[in-house]
Amino acid sequence: MIRLSRGQWAGVALLLLLALFALGVPQVVPGDPTRQSLSNALLPPGGPFLFGTDPFGRDMLLRLAAAVRLSLGIALLTTALAGVIGVALGVLAGACGGWVDRALCGVADTLLALPGLLLVLLLVAIAPGRFWPLYLGVSLVLWVEYFRMTRAAALRIAASPAVEASRLLGFGPFYRFRRHYWPELAPITLTVGAFGSATSVMSVAALGFVNVGVRPPTPELGQMMIELMPYYNEAPLILAQPILVVVLLVLALNLIAGGKTQ
Amino acid sequence: MTVLIEADGLAVDGLDSIVRPTALRVRAGVPFTILGETGSGKSLLAQAIAGTLPDGLAARGRVRINGRDVLGLSHADKRRHLWGRAIAILPQEPWLALDPTARAASQVWEGFTRILNLPRRAAGAATEQALRSLGLDDAARKLPGQLSGGMAQRVAFVAARAGGAPIVIADEPTKGLDATRRDDAVDLLKTGMGTTGGLLVISHDIAVPKRLGGEVAIMLKGRIIESGPVDQVLSNPRHDYTRRLLAADPAAWPEQPTAPVGDRLIEVEGLAKSRGGRTLFRDLSFTLHRGEIIGVVGPSGCGKSSLGDLLLGVIAPDGGTIRRNSSWPALRFQKVWQDPPAAFAPQLTLRTALGDLVRRHGLAWDRVPPLMDRLGLSTALLDRPPGGISGGELQRFSLLRTLLLDPVFLFADEPTSRLDLITQQEIVGLMRGVARETGCGLLLVSHDHALINRVADRVIAIGPQSDLVSPQLPSSNIASSAAS
Amino acid sequence: MIRPILHRVAQALLVALMVGVLTFALMRSLPGDMAWRVAAGRYGYDITDAAVMEQVRQSLALDQPAALALLSWFGDLLRLDLGVSLISELPVVDEIAHQLGASVTLALTALLLSVLLGPPLGVLAGLRPGGGLDRALFALSITLRALPQFVIGLLLIYGLAIVFGLLPASGHGEAGHVVLPALTLAIGLAAVSCRVARDATVAVTTSGYYRFGETKGLRPLDNFLRHGLRNIAVPIVTYLGVQLVYLIEGVVVVETLFAWPGIGHALVHAILARDVPMIQGTALVMGLMFVLLNAGVDVMCGALDPRRRTS
Repeated sequence: MIRLSRGQWAGVALLLLLALFALGVPQVVPGDPTRQSLSNALLPPGGPFLFGTDPFGRDMLLRLAAAVRLSLGIALLTTALAGVIGVALGVLAGACGGWVDRALCGVADTLLALPGLLLVLLLVAIAPGRFWPLYLGVSLVLWVEYFRMTRAAALRIAASPAVEASRLLGFGPFYRFRRHYWPELAPITLTVGAFGSATSVMSVAALGFVNVGVRPPTPELGQMMIELMPYYNEAPLILAQPILVVVLLVLALNLIAGGKTQ
Repeated sequence: MTVLIEADGLAVDGLDSIVRPTALRVRAGVPFTILGETGSGKSLLAQAIAGTLPDGLAARGRVRINGRDVLGLSHADKRRHLWGRAIAILPQEPWLALDPTARAASQVWEGFTRILNLPRRAAGAATEQALRSLGLDDAARKLPGQLSGGMAQRVAFVAARAGGAPIVIADEPTKGLDATRRDDAVDLLKTGMGTTGGLLVISHDIAVPKRLGGEVAIMLKGRIIESGPVDQVLSNPRHDYTRRLLAADPAAWPEQPTAPVGDRLIEVEGLAKSRGGRTLFRDLSFTLHRGEIIGVVGPSGCGKSSLGDLLLGVIAPDGGTIRRNSSWPALRFQKVWQDPPAAFAPQLTLRTALGDLVRRHGLAWDRVPPLMDRLGLSTALLDRPPGGISGGELQRFSLLRTLLLDPVFLFADEPTSRLDLITQQEIVGLMRGVARETGCGLLLVSHDHALINRVADRVIAIGPQSDLVSPQLPSSNIASSAAS
Repeated sequence: MIRPILHRVAQALLVALMVGVLTFALMRSLPGDMAWRVAAGRYGYDITDAAVMEQVRQSLALDQPAALALLSWFGDLLRLDLGVSLISELPVVDEIAHQLGASVTLALTALLLSVLLGPPLGVLAGLRPGGGLDRALFALSITLRALPQFVIGLLLIYGLAIVFGLLPASGHGEAGHVVLPALTLAIGLAAVSCRVARDATVAVTTSGYYRFGETKGLRPLDNFLRHGLRNIAVPIVTYLGVQLVYLIEGVVVVETLFAWPGIGHALVHAILARDVPMIQGTALVMGLMFVLLNAGVDVMCGALDPRRRTS
């Protein structure tokens, strides 16, 4: 149903590699990513620890794998939650029109009034160090994009002769969703979902970076960067690792979303 | 007479859109029309002459404009220099050819300043004069989005000619226009040419060369198969295709016998509908019987389609009553759309779409092949998506899927306005046959009076706002006695 | 012109509503004594005095049902009575007045830099789609868009400030200090706006009206100036509205990274310290800044596109 381009396949491959890394490392290298060992602080990569250690002597390989699991987990959960809600409401608004459409657009406009990260920051402030404000905040920001894109497409499809014909020929709403709406919405959903996941990864990392996200010692990419930043001179290769991983994650997701601007 | 455009052995090479070596002469004061259907290569031929071929296509042979060989011009810039100065090229859809963010006057004005190099004030006066000469005084300060289709057409005409080019090349200048506006556009082109200018028109519509006069060339599969003075070619065609083309013109269709009146199917009384605060029609009363064909005519936007949708129950009337014979379920009241590709889910093959329909209503697939046979469709088409077959074939499939449901009423909304003449004749013939054979009532909407007059048993004319509707207009076939 | 203004006024009210509800929830979730400090700070009372405490209790309606308390919270908010910071013990309005200038300087410099960087390159690439510049810019843009703002910032610090020692990495007060944080934001913005400009240029130069301009006989430069430029600019400026979200979010991150004494920096600090009045004040002002910049984009769109003025 969805034909992927070469760039999109490259993104899928890169994402699978990262997921394999995140899930495979704990199987191969047993250990605790939060265990400190000050005698092993800031070891360079390639020694007893393949990726080296951080200033607390924690294994970077294990920490990176755990951080990628966290980022991808949050991204997957928020995108799926936002996607199901956003697509369902978008089709509802586009296909029904009238007051249903106006009410849902009102809700979306309200959420859009505030830049997404501000909303997430305020939610995180209510319950610092917890996960639910992150999930809730990022999902609230993401579903609006699904909603708007799906609604625009659904409006167009609902007005098409094909849908009118389908109704006259005696087909029901579920048939119309499956045969008329979904084939056109699927690629949109994929693009929005991939961009949304990228947004989620970046938001979580940005929160970690400004120290208000996931609490230490849970490994998180943004927080790892801020912890390692003072050691840019002594251990540039250690600092480069979380940066590179964030970039690869976002790049993979952007590639899946396609080369388009939005 | 001066020869303005002279083409010899002119050919266009490309992947599948090809023009075979062709010769033509356009003379001063004699309009020249290239007539052909979609895909015949007529537009490519004109583009090869004008130098506007799309990337990837190349012209070879010889083209002389005003005696100068232009195909041989080495630099694109020199070729470009002819535009606006020697040849004016009219765009196909003028409403898309005007800059949406610039006012009409400025789009004309730039021709006078930038091409004729008039000083600002003189250019302003010339613009005003040019617009006024076509009754466009009001349009000057407007943006293209605020112009009607006809006004946009005239503004584009003035803008294209502001540079003073004596030769006009117009590709499908009447596309999408109803009969009155089509004649206005053709007259405009003819008057603009005068006695010394040149005019090359590309069209699929026989009415264009008929009104324009001069010379006509008939194009088929990349070749000019016949050409000469309009009178001669159209009254005494030599080529078989030309004869079929002329026969396909609704005005030339044979008269058909009218139907015996069957059961009452839909009774309409005092029907009224308005849209956007404008009354489309009111006090409309008539009865449609089984096997009967009622034609609906009127200018675009007058509410022809709304009438059909009202009968189907898709939209609700503002006043009056519509009584549908309750012997038949709603499913047997069906519709055929104007733009066939828009009426199908684009991703489904026709086999899947028809299969879904057969399953939905517990029908047997056995019914499909005989219907395909009847409609002249090959089974190979079943495995293609709607976009993969021609508009005429797809329109037959829209007819087919309604026939599977044994319709007692069919609303055909401009079913052939996007199709070529010969295909139009075939499709309308099929619909007529279906109505007569199965006793299905047909409401046929068209902007083409000639077509409706030939096919319909009775005609409803929906007029401009002033004289809302005349449901008792006698058709060519029978008087209005049956109209209630 | 009335509708867009009303729309932005409504948006500003929505910002106040959202910020108000969320900070109210935040205040209610705080331990008791913190809530007292919020209340007392606003009225400048000494909370050791039991009688005054009772007075505050009543005036703030803290013991009343949540709905009433929320109303009085909004009343203060709409009167722009933002209270006193729990940390500095200065009125929030005074603190923000200092920070606002720094943030606005940063945001506007970034916006200006991005407009100078992105659209011109995008238009050049779009004039020859598929050409060398187009492909190079595409690769650059997709790479830059994969870099979160703080990574761009880190790389700039590392490259320009540490390795080459060209610019100060952090600090405030001198003209040079604004360059790195503004550039960080501008690069992220330009990576997207150059693609928008490129796509708009391709769409315009292949459009029917651009073609008509050519066949009318206009010289390429005349055609570009008369029919290209404005039509390309409209989607770019419209998209600027979408990019403002990125800008405001970026201000929070980049100010923290560069220790830029603006509102974003203050917001993060306030969240860490759970300084409710400051959180409310800074979030409100950032939200309003977002609305105001959006209104600016509206005005620019209206000036560029005559269709907006007539419809």
